[in-house]
Amino acid sequence: MNDPQEVGRRLDAVDYLVDDGLAMAIFLALRLGKPLLLEGEPGVGKTAAAKALALALDTPLIRLQCYDGLTAGEALYEWNYQRQLLAIRLAEARHERLGDDDLFTAEFLQERPILKAVRHAGPRPPVLLIDEIDRADDEFEALLFEFLGEAAVTVPELGTFTAVRPPVVVLTSNRSRDLHDALRRRCLYHWIEFPAPERAAEIVRRAVPGATRPLIASATEFIGRVRTLDLDKAPGLAETIDWVSALAALGATELAPAAALHTIGTIAKTPDDRLVVAGAVHQEIA
Amino acid sequence: MLRGVDRAAFAVSFANRLRGAGVPAGLTEIDDLIRALAAVPLDSAAALYWSARVALVRRESDLAAFDRIFEAVFADAPPLPLPLTRAAAGPAARRDDVHVPVPAAADQAVPGGGLPWATLPPAVAGADDGDESGLRLPQLRPSDVAALAARPFEELDPRETALLGAALAGELARWPTRRTRRHVPHSGGRRIALRPTIARARRTAWEPVVVVRERPLRRPRRVVLLADVSESMRAQATAYLHLMRAFATVTEAEVFAFSTGLTRLTRVLAHRSAGEAIAQASAAVTDRFGGTRIATTIAALLRSHHGNAVRGALVVIASDGWDSDPPEALAAAMARLARRAHAVLWLNPRAGAPGFTPTVAAMAAALPYCTALLPAATFADLSVAARSLTDALR
Repeated sequence: MNDPQEVGRRLDAVDYLVDDGLAMAIFLALRLGKPLLLEGEPGVGKTAAAKALALALDTPLIRLQCYDGLTAGEALYEWNYQRQLLAIRLAEARHERLGDDDLFTAEFLQERPILKAVRHAGPRPPVLLIDEIDRADDEFEALLFEFLGEAAVTVPELGTFTAVRPPVVVLTSNRSRDLHDALRRRCLYHWIEFPAPERAAEIVRRAVPGATRPLIASATEFIGRVRTLDLDKAPGLAETIDWVSALAALGATELAPAAALHTIGTIAKTPDDRLVVAGAVHQEIA
Repeated sequence: MLRGVDRAAFAVSFANRLRGAGVPAGLTEIDDLIRALAAVPLDSAAALYWSARVALVRRESDLAAFDRIFEAVFADAPPLPLPLTRAAAGPAARRDDVHVPVPAAADQAVPGGGLPWATLPPAVAGADDGDESGLRLPQLRPSDVAALAARPFEELDPRETALLGAALAGELARWPTRRTRRHVPHSGGRRIALRPTIARARRTAWEPVVVVRERPLRRPRRVVLLADVSESMRAQATAYLHLMRAFATVTEAEVFAFSTGLTRLTRVLAHRSAGEAIAQASAAVTDRFGGTRIATTIAALLRSHHGNAVRGALVVIASDGWDSDPPEALAAAMARLARRAHAVLWLNPRAGAPGFTPTVAAMAAALPYCTALLPAATFADLSVAARSLTDALR
């Protein structure tokens, strides 16, 4: 890709709309070969950006979902201990001698997402999505540094694997924990804003092709107003798309109070929010 | 657009200004910007803005400062092509010196009586410097600390408060823990750790003679502290700031001050020097000594992205419970808080007084959702509270 506009066009072709900022962030991540850290409100399309990027680049998406206690064994690589033990028994039965070099070979190495991305052999580098990095603990961040900085993974028994073509790395975070500065320094950063109503309508239209235009327009406009209310969890784009899909599934062509109240569970996710949103439905949709 | 411009000089001076405004743009970021400028076709001001922002800014809280500086540097620049070298490299070219970097600590007077060399700062920060002998050791024995700790906060001077704050941090060394999903080798563990077992088997001809076991790692439980700094809590505010700092340095903590709104103090209170941290925190709280809106504040905390920090944490609320929000609102907010947190503790400066009953409407409404209501009028109370936390909530 030669310029940010082309990034925008290519992502547009796979039905993911980007603004100038995100297009520039993705373009620079691709061109400079640095990981891209995406932050933003929940449901604003951080994970979807990585998926769309993989689709647009026509390469596989390798995904690593982070959680508390994630270790090298689940993220980088693991030795296949069962096979190693079997190999030991086999060697015993045959009265052979086993050395380090016989047990710690590529044959016994199990690839986990990050090593898989480094050793990917396809014509184009894969997209590696490290999702919700804030859910992993500090120790895991430290594990990532070698990979994020040099696109390499070191296996002490075998040596260092360096990617021939560094994978495109996208990290997402919901800010439930402050990420370490050392991690931020290794990444480019972009904060995804919630889109304006017209743009949100365009995004929903791409995501729910079966919905009518008046339905999408009034639904996104309604969501825009609901977001200004005092809510525990303001509905994001993902919720909007769910809601419009639900309304379309009910056969609605326009936003009507009855259908809106039936499908309120897609946008209001706590009892308090349910009351507030129901009030807004009664007031605003006539 | 940047033809004939020394991009390296531009990037360095621009990053320099950002650093002046508190955006930590270091050499890595500058390198990124230079490479970005080479890669991006700079055909518009927007392209320059986005490439600089993506390359230089690494966290959302710095975006406002970046926008301000970018605006200041490029707003009244002549139309394209921009003579950027002059606009950015010459700080004197701008009239308002707000965005011109000032050498760090230029305004800090260095003690040393105007000597032409730098002297080390006094080793004992708490000692009186009005003394004629110049050097003096602090004359406080442990028993003095114990006597001071029993005095109410309002009778303490700032130096004593600082001393007791430091003692409090020592009290918090033992802290309730939670089990994590991470495992560490331990002889009493239940799970077999395959990797070290195989590694040990190497010594015994690959026969796994020694089985290494592992158990879950225990971590200090996160604590979220909400301290009331409203008018009715004026006497206790500084002492509570010390409590907050003790939490922030000992364990993984999120600390907030509130009166009408919520101020996050986690970052400023983690400062190495206690005095500096407390001073910065006091400056950060803008609605200090205002009214109290506890319910609104708790709801705001749960709604913000810091609300996730409450999950499984110990929540400590330090307030006298004089709330201007309706009690029902507080009960609803406390119910949500209690559902999300591991335990909720309420520290009340008045709870230690003889004959105290929680009859203030807000306090009565909040009490059913609290794991414990503890008195907190003196540092001795705070120590007891810290210890009961450790013992009761393991």
